[in-house]
Amino acid sequence: MSSQRSHVPHYLMIAPFVVLFAAFFLYPILSGFYYSFHDWNGVEVPRFVGLANYEKLLGSRDFSRAMWNLVVYISITVPVGILVAFGLALLVDSFTGRWASFFRNAYFLPVVLPAFLAATIWRWIYAPNFGLLNMILGWFGLPSVNFLNDTGTMIYALIAVDVWVSAGFNMVILLAGLKNIPAELYEAARLDGANKWQQIVHITVPMLGPIMFFVITYSIISAMQVFDKPWLLTGSSFSEYGGRRGALLFPVMDMMGRAFGEVRFGEASAYGFLLTLAIVFLTMVTFGIRKWRERS
Amino acid sequence: MDIRRSFLSTVSALVAVGWAGIAAAQEKTLEYWVYSDFAQGDALALQQEFIKEFTAKHPGVKIEIIGKGDADLTAGQIAGAASGNVPDVFMNGIGTGAQLVEVGALANVYDKWMAMPEDYRNQFNKSAIANCTPEPQKMYCLPYTGYGSLMFRNLTVLKKAGIDPSTPPATWEEWLGQMKKIKEAGMFAIPDQALVFNSIAEMYAISGDVSTWGIDWDSRKTRIDPAVMEKVLQKFVDIAPLNSGTSRNDQATKDLFVTDQLAFHTVGPWVNSTYLEAEKNGKLKYDFVLIPGDTADKRGGIQNYEIVGVAPGENFDISWEFASYVTAKEQMARWAKLLSRYNSNAAAMAEPEVASLPLIARSVESVGYAMDVMPPYLVKAVPSCYSSTVVDIVSATADGEYSPAEGAKEIVAELNDCLAE
Amino acid sequence: MSVSARRNVTVWTVLKWAVAIMVAVIAVFPVWWMVNVVFSLPGEPVSINPRLWPTSMSAGIDKIRMIFAETAYMRAYAVSLAYAGLTIFGVLLVGSLAAFEFALFEFRGKNVLFAVILLSLMVPTAATIIPTYLLTSSLGWLNSMQGLVVPGLASAFGLFMLVQFMRAIPRDMIEAARLDGANHFQIYWFVALPLSRNAMITLAILTFMQTWGNYMWPLIVGTRPDMYTVGQVVGLFNAPLSHQTVDVVMTANLLAAIPPLVFFLIFQKQIVEGIAMSGTKG
Repeated sequence: MSSQRSHVPHYLMIAPFVVLFAAFFLYPILSGFYYSFHDWNGVEVPRFVGLANYEKLLGSRDFSRAMWNLVVYISITVPVGILVAFGLALLVDSFTGRWASFFRNAYFLPVVLPAFLAATIWRWIYAPNFGLLNMILGWFGLPSVNFLNDTGTMIYALIAVDVWVSAGFNMVILLAGLKNIPAELYEAARLDGANKWQQIVHITVPMLGPIMFFVITYSIISAMQVFDKPWLLTGSSFSEYGGRRGALLFPVMDMMGRAFGEVRFGEASAYGFLLTLAIVFLTMVTFGIRKWRERS
Repeated sequence: MDIRRSFLSTVSALVAVGWAGIAAAQEKTLEYWVYSDFAQGDALALQQEFIKEFTAKHPGVKIEIIGKGDADLTAGQIAGAASGNVPDVFMNGIGTGAQLVEVGALANVYDKWMAMPEDYRNQFNKSAIANCTPEPQKMYCLPYTGYGSLMFRNLTVLKKAGIDPSTPPATWEEWLGQMKKIKEAGMFAIPDQALVFNSIAEMYAISGDVSTWGIDWDSRKTRIDPAVMEKVLQKFVDIAPLNSGTSRNDQATKDLFVTDQLAFHTVGPWVNSTYLEAEKNGKLKYDFVLIPGDTADKRGGIQNYEIVGVAPGENFDISWEFASYVTAKEQMARWAKLLSRYNSNAAAMAEPEVASLPLIARSVESVGYAMDVMPPYLVKAVPSCYSSTVVDIVSATADGEYSPAEGAKEIVAELNDCLAE
Repeated sequence: MSVSARRNVTVWTVLKWAVAIMVAVIAVFPVWWMVNVVFSLPGEPVSINPRLWPTSMSAGIDKIRMIFAETAYMRAYAVSLAYAGLTIFGVLLVGSLAAFEFALFEFRGKNVLFAVILLSLMVPTAATIIPTYLLTSSLGWLNSMQGLVVPGLASAFGLFMLVQFMRAIPRDMIEAARLDGANHFQIYWFVALPLSRNAMITLAILTFMQTWGNYMWPLIVGTRPDMYTVGQVVGLFNAPLSHQTVDVVMTANLLAAIPPLVFFLIFQKQIVEGIAMSGTKG
């Protein structure tokens, strides 16, 4: 059918996007890829070094630590964050009128805060001995925990902050999706005798399919690029970052440190592309799972 | 009608551009990047006075002052160097000097420096000048503001623990004894010094000095002496049960001090504005002294500097003139009086009105003993694994994972690995 | 209704309200704490006692007034608002045009192109920021609004999101419009866009948040104070070794959070009202 119509209108419509994309995304990506094979400090002529940057990174202890932290981080924060966001979306959806607005706005508030503010607030909540959380622990007679400096708890402290912010973000997207589900479907199901839980499983979840897929995929992609929260929670600077024993060292942070701290842009680019490979791999897995579910 | 309008607008645009071009040829605008707090309030007013005085003597020169936070200065200067847009005169910490030299943001001002009259050159603190001159014939900056570590003492806490605050502790042993008494009285003695590289350096200086600190770039090895490091690590073990769990830079540490729960705060002078406010509210009684060393004639603590750099390029000459004007004795004295902060123009520091300010007097004293944080400067960019290795192993030793002897050996071995890459 | 059914409804309702309020407290309390820090006397300890109420309204107002007077905060608001507004307009326009095609039609090269665009989402911004900056600089766009806005317009995030939402548009509506004689663009404008209203508003809100919080890019593109965004002005206060007292720092940060909040409140209403009018669940 489509071969009968001209393709020109399609290309015209996507042209603005594609042109801007090619200039400001494709070209810098290819450029960065080119530089990853060079030793470059931004000013002098880049010196070709082949795979040297990649070899150095793959053998570097910091790289392994950053990647391991990333795996742990993503495997917890994405599922937890999305479940919480979905729960919140359902919760808000079950209220109407003023109360719905009130709760929706309250849950979105953390998203609105500048990252520095959120990090400062949480540093105080987590402070040892007299921070809010430790005060509460004290009421129950439990000893103080140094959340942001104990290598056993740091990554979980970070995940809590991340869920606090991302739940509101994802909730808003899921809410828009929920609002798009026609009320008649729920009416029909109720008349058929389905209870709330059955309605959620058989109507809400399937109808939210494409949007949930988007939220999951985007959450994975952005979680893999985590930077500002661990950076701010550990009071990092370009000469010292990643927290105690690098427990909050993540790939993008390491990359920025090599770019602006040591002025090695070639190495930083190589880092970026190794990370990209990991992200691509994970995303393809997600797409693959979806295709497999669609088929069955 | 449309064609005529667009023709006219094109012509007027061309004229405007041409006019601006002519004007630009006659007028130079220098970009002057400073730390964010120098671009606010009274500090900004004084800087603008300097600018006004300078431009009055140099007609046709405009200077635009731009304030930025610390990391932003570096990121902006590096990005600017990459695109050919480096600011003409700018500040940064001396620790980032090496990166800036590498990207060509800092011009070699040695010839200009030597062309200045001798009494100008003698105004400056000699070791600060040496820091800016990594090799003969190569000088990359003018030292500007700086600090020496101070030890703030909460007098109420000391009295509650039964310590007489009238004489500060003269040696490490005496100080440790006082800290133990404070812990017994139920309060925190000191922040956790193992959390931040600079506080570790401050502790190192209690036992060691600059000859066993820093990096030897020729052999790419650390200069740290394991024997000295072992003594220092023992100190960290000693204070582990006595500290507050927060670092010297945390807001929480300042709060503990202000609410009489922390006795000693070893840090730079910038916290004084907070403590002064609390004192004015009637809530805090404090003073500041020097960090004691192992022996009565030694002191701990570090010194660190900010620098003024000049970019190479077409504005180099006039930029140097401005930089040397701002760092001259008269201006530095006015600067110090306003901010009550130490700077590296020794002649300015010696002026009676300046020297009588307590914060400055104590800072001058501190700098006389204090150790450089990361020497040698302006040679090569220090890899980030260096500071993080030091922090990691010191904290691990304080936690009991290594004995001080093992920890010292680990540090030296891993630092040499880090530098070898 | 039987007695047990009535009781079930009550239990469920109580539980629902309890959870909702608890979560609201967790979400809001930290921010409320910050507000109390702002409205308190300087020099008071801020992190030790959780602040349950403001202690000094006048001190807070003084601080706010000082910040507006001493920094070019108002100008930064203007710059940030322009940056966000132009970006939203551009992203929505360019993105929806393209999403319309990718969601609803087939054409040669579509899958490859979409895959490439998605791939770009997976390259961390940090890896491309320097080459993008150099390109922007060579176009002469440093320290200009177009330098800030244009590089961000081809948002793969926006495209991806809109495609997922537009997939739900019924094909028969499109066929019907075509049979009515509408050309391609008119179908987009009169059929697809109105049906994607929720998605567009949501994307507008999220783009606003992302632009407002964007730090690195404005930092290196807008180096002169007249192009400072709110993020950069706040950055002046956040320098860790700054001589400012902490409550002033917090005031500057809180002032930065107000426009996104207002923006969100205004536009969230739109979604709810939009649904009520179209008669779907609301």
